[in-house]
Amino acid sequence: MSEEALLEVTDLRVAFAAGGQEISAVNGVSFSVRPGETLAVIGESGSGKTVSCRAIMGLLPSTAIVKGSARLRGTELIGLPEPELRRHRGAQMAMVFQDPARSLNPTMRIGQQIAEAVRTHRDVSKAEARAEAIELLRLVRMPLPERRFGEYPHQLSGGMRQRVVIAIALACKPKLLIADEATTALDVTTQAQIMELLLDLQDELDMALVMISHDLGLAASYASEVVVMYAGKIVEQAPAGQLFGARGAVRMRYTRALLDAIPDMERAAHTPLPVVAGRPPDLAALPPGCAFADRCAAAEDDCRETAPDLAEHVPGHRWACWHPCAAGDNSENGDIPS
Amino acid sequence: MARSPALRLVGRRLGAAVIVLWGVTLLTFIVMSTLPNDTAQTMLGLHATPAQVAALNKALGLNQPFWVRYWRWLVQALHGNLGTTLEGQSVNHELAIHLPVTLELLAYALVISVALAVVVAVLAARRPNGIADRISLSVSMIGLSASPLVVGIILVIVFAVQVGWFPVQSNGLGGGLGSFFVQGTLPAASLGFPLFAIYTRLLRADLVEQMQREDYIVTARAKGLSPWRVLIRHALRNSMFTLITVIGLNLGTLVSAAAIIEVLFSVPGVGSDLLTAIGNHDSALIEGIVFVFALITVAGNLAADLLYAVLDPRIRHGSTNS
Ligand SMILES: Nc1ncnc2c1ncn2[C@@H]1O[C@H](COP(=O)(O)OP(=O)(O)O)[C@@H](O)[C@H]1O
Ligand SMILES: [Mg+2]
Repeated sequence: MSEEALLEVTDLRVAFAAGGQEISAVNGVSFSVRPGETLAVIGESGSGKTVSCRAIMGLLPSTAIVKGSARLRGTELIGLPEPELRRHRGAQMAMVFQDPARSLNPTMRIGQQIAEAVRTHRDVSKAEARAEAIELLRLVRMPLPERRFGEYPHQLSGGMRQRVVIAIALACKPKLLIADEATTALDVTTQAQIMELLLDLQDELDMALVMISHDLGLAASYASEVVVMYAGKIVEQAPAGQLFGARGAVRMRYTRALLDAIPDMERAAHTPLPVVAGRPPDLAALPPGCAFADRCAAAEDDCRETAPDLAEHVPGHRWACWHPCAAGDNSENGDIPS
Repeated sequence: MARSPALRLVGRRLGAAVIVLWGVTLLTFIVMSTLPNDTAQTMLGLHATPAQVAALNKALGLNQPFWVRYWRWLVQALHGNLGTTLEGQSVNHELAIHLPVTLELLAYALVISVALAVVVAVLAARRPNGIADRISLSVSMIGLSASPLVVGIILVIVFAVQVGWFPVQSNGLGGGLGSFFVQGTLPAASLGFPLFAIYTRLLRADLVEQMQREDYIVTARAKGLSPWRVLIRHALRNSMFTLITVIGLNLGTLVSAAAIIEVLFSVPGVGSDLLTAIGNHDSALIEGIVFVFALITVAGNLAADLLYAVLDPRIRHGSTNS
């Protein structure tokens, strides 16, 4: 990378030992995030997005075997002992989760939950932490922050809860914010508000934002760089402008199918997305060839034999396919089985 | 104005409590009236003539029909008078002497069992299947399978007879805190150990479940909190609400176990008193004590419910939009 990277992930691998099987959830993911940048990580459900970012944060259960490297400002996070990792968690990198109804402690006042985040990394008094929590509520545009401070999560709407989760994440003004499907559980109007809030805050606080979603539309509207994941691997990566520009240049049929699956505004919240036709591969027994071959109209024998590597075929644009689509109109998409 | 859900809960539970208490008094009365009525005979001795017995029965009102006697008792009881024992003492006075002893014993047993259960469950839940977890599992399996009586006998043999730290018999829990601990520890431990086992299993399971499944635990960890803080400040906090309910529900078992343990250790509480009263066919005393036992149980359940409603914000505010 030309500029010094804030986060540099190299060949990240995560496997779960589950019932004698080994589930390979993440299989060699590399990307980097520059300070202040917005990176979108896109992929269908189960493609390893959540596992990747939890591996970076050190938040996976003990059944996970994590390999590879993730450097935050030069500090290697993978394999770092828990007490040291804790110094970075919440301080330099923070996370916003998918379901705001479940990511707040139901029996603790929201203000306390924010103040706790403030006090974890900084030596401030209870009163100072409280004042700061109210300030953070104001920062995430919570109406009546003083009053909201003493309320419980169930007294708030989904969007308001997500604002609280964001306030917690921002308590120590991290340089890296990972938003894991932060708007998926919300209704369409609220989704847009939370997205705007995240981008405003990113600007205000000069944070890098890793935006995880299964919605390529979000990536197209907000991200500068897009990473597309399938079966625990990155299959396509390019600057958003290059991928979705006037002369759309998506080269992977999987990415095109995701593009077709962009939800229209009428879709009710919480309904499952129309996904790419076919089933994702069994992560406990990945095929030797391309993991998408069985679902791909253009698949040939070579696809089933050897997996294509992710390579930079065009400056800035990488993909992993033996028979990519022609560059041109992204919507032209006749060759995906449905 | 809409009544708060907590207030509605109080109303419903209070109603249920009154019905249960009334049912208990009626049931005790029915059971007592099926036993041979030899109260007068007992009082007068074996040499009394049938005429003397009949006269005393009449004087005591024992020749009256069942409903009349029950009604009279109930009216008196509602005025706070539980009648007179065979020895001519008022039942109220008898209870005033013995009840505090039992309540102290119960409170001591509860405090020991809950405090130990919290500590052991947190240690066990920190590393599921770790050493602390395995030890706590074995210990609580013993507690779950042993009755307070068995625990009591073992404790007496080990700590009173063999080691000699505590007296075999308590003879009252009064006379200062030191004496209270000396006299009360073995009986309270006998009562508390099975409870400790139940609470430990319950808390440990609830803590582990939360630590592995709940998203708010991940949020707490993502803040950079230490695992202990997450466990205590977030998981334990929520588990305590469940524990309070279980404590309330177990109170009935605890009270009946207390009667046996009091006899075993000669603790002069209402439990020992009840057994003496049963031996003497002292129906007024039996009814009074059973009523008090029921009252403790019902009040405990009620208190647990209300405490839960007051403490748990999800109930307090009537959780709707989740
Ligand atoms: N704790 C776990 N144990 C075993 N498998 C897991 C665990 N967590 C996630 N996985 C598996 O890892 C794969 C990737 O999951 P995830 O990263 O959550 O996907 P997504 O891209 O939808 O966020 C899924 O197949 C999931 O079943
Ligand atoms: Mg996910």
